[in-house]
Amino acid sequence: MSFQEKNITVTLVNFTLILAYFLIRVLQMAATETFTEPNVFRLWVIIIVAAVVVTIAATILTQIVSAIIEVIQTGDKEPEIEDIADERDKLIDLRGTSITYTVYSLGVLVAMLTFAFGQPPLIMFSLLIFFGVLAQIVGDISRLLLYRRGF
Amino acid sequence: MADTAISNNIRKLRFFHNEMTQKELAKKVGVTRQTIIAIEKGHYPPSLELAFRIAHVFESPLEEVFSYDPKKDQF
Repeated sequence: MSFQEKNITVTLVNFTLILAYFLIRVLQMAATETFTEPNVFRLWVIIIVAAVVVTIAATILTQIVSAIIEVIQTGDKEPEIEDIADERDKLIDLRGTSITYTVYSLGVLVAMLTFAFGQPPLIMFSLLIFFGVLAQIVGDISRLLLYRRGF
Repeated sequence: MADTAISNNIRKLRFFHNEMTQKELAKKVGVTRQTIIAIEKGHYPPSLELAFRIAHVFESPLEEVFSYDPKKDQF
């Protein structure tokens, strides 16, 4: 497994956990009738900050873990990590990004349609963040599949 | 098994160049080992620039390293 694949796997796991946290919090709010503007926007901020922090932390974590594995496997004290992104990595990333944007665009459309059909704006905002995280997950899965397939 | 219309002799050429490893070839042409594996298996067709770089490493003409089968081309 290449450095890029490891990085995507770590990000995928983290975004899945973020999505699970988001869904649990929304369901909790709905059950306790606290699905209000301050709570929903606070959740928005938590999710966005978590996503940014997780993306940065995942890269650092992958770098450290890769170095440790390399040292164990080769016994080399100065491990060589292949963290370069070559032409294949860039093409796979481009395809993954395209899939992410497609899923998010459809999500935005669904969110706007709920508003157009009379649902409260909070539903629309919740769906926007939901589809944002979901799109990232779908994009990461497609990147991993492309890596497994070769391209 | 080749997935694309482009096949290659990289594995054979590596063997005849002092059994060059995939890692060594990857380093010489500036890509990851996984990309060399994907090219060798025929899963990924390299860019023209990378194809020329690989041919240059083996000091061979491009058509000796890569070959094109129009029957397999889905164009």
